[in-house]
Amino acid sequence: MATEEESAVKEPLDLIRLSLDERIYVKLRSDRELRGKLHAYDQHLNMILGDVEEVVTTVEIDDETYEEIVRTTKRTVPFLFVRGDGVILVSPPLRTA
Amino acid sequence: MSGKFIHYFDLLDVYVRSSVDVAAFGFPSPQLRFFSLRANMLFFSYFKDLVGREVTVELKNDLAIRGTLHSVDQYLNIKLENTRVVDQDKYPHMLSVRNCFIRGSVVRYVQLPPEGVDIELLHDATRREARGG
Amino acid sequence: MSWAGPEDIYLSTSLASYLDKKLLVLLRDGRKLMGTLRSFDQFANAVLEGACERVIVGDLYCDIPLGLYVIRGENVVLIGELDLEREELPEHMTRVSTAEIKRAQKVEREASDLKGTMRKRMEFLDFD
Repeated sequence: MATEEESAVKEPLDLIRLSLDERIYVKLRSDRELRGKLHAYDQHLNMILGDVEEVVTTVEIDDETYEEIVRTTKRTVPFLFVRGDGVILVSPPLRTA
Repeated sequence: MSGKFIHYFDLLDVYVRSSVDVAAFGFPSPQLRFFSLRANMLFFSYFKDLVGREVTVELKNDLAIRGTLHSVDQYLNIKLENTRVVDQDKYPHMLSVRNCFIRGSVVRYVQLPPEGVDIELLHDATRREARGG
Repeated sequence: MSWAGPEDIYLSTSLASYLDKKLLVLLRDGRKLMGTLRSFDQFANAVLEGACERVIVGDLYCDIPLGLYVIRGENVVLIGELDLEREELPEHMTRVSTAEIKRAQKVEREASDLKGTMRKRMEFLDFD
């Protein structure tokens, strides 16, 4: 079904086009990571993801010992629009042979 | 579904034609204008379709606001009605805000209503935009 | 004089309905301004008349008068319409003088600075 034009990878965003309808990993600014199914994107890397799992990593400083405490918070969202200016990297699904 | 399908592409067509009008008005760079009008069309059109639905907008300053989507523009600025802040105790100054305008550039996420996501339509529109952009 | 595209009108429609209303403007640095919107443009640059800054520290608050402000759009996070029927702030909050709120702000700032410097001072111990 996919024509030669559609499957050719000529520029970075072509790799993202090939990830449509696949689960991808997205690293965002302010220590956030997303895993979800890619439903839409544009040239700014604005995206719509489905069945999203978000992981936020925070570093707190203990009031008593002044030690750094690293915490990760997880949550899931059915459908999420992600604004592209916060995206650091996108990783397509691992294709295991 | 096919009705909605036509609706999205009608929109694209209107915007391409409006850029021709811009050229007629002597806009300095009609070509540039043409592309900038096409840029962002996908999500602009998508959010316009979502007007009237409940969404949660999460900002880069961690403020999360739930409300009815009233309008959106090409910068993805958003206007919400009947708003409530998710963590009200942390943001007491938002207590009497019922309607608000959110600058698109400060948005981190928008949580979408599941019934407002037509996956097939999004895939088609994304492929179309990837080809044109 | 200038030609507004269809999308510009869309945005104007957006802030136009807030003209001459009492608004809350949240800025990117966390400050909260209140005032009456008299003008705006497509960047969300805004003119606020009778502006004041609402400073909140814990349960204390104060409105510091500022006058006429032109706000650069890129610093705007959110513009909210204040519902005059509703309480602006929760009942348990107390209005204090400018001097008092500045004092409270200073205490708060020093507490968070202390946390930072204590951490720095103890870094050489290398906990890990």
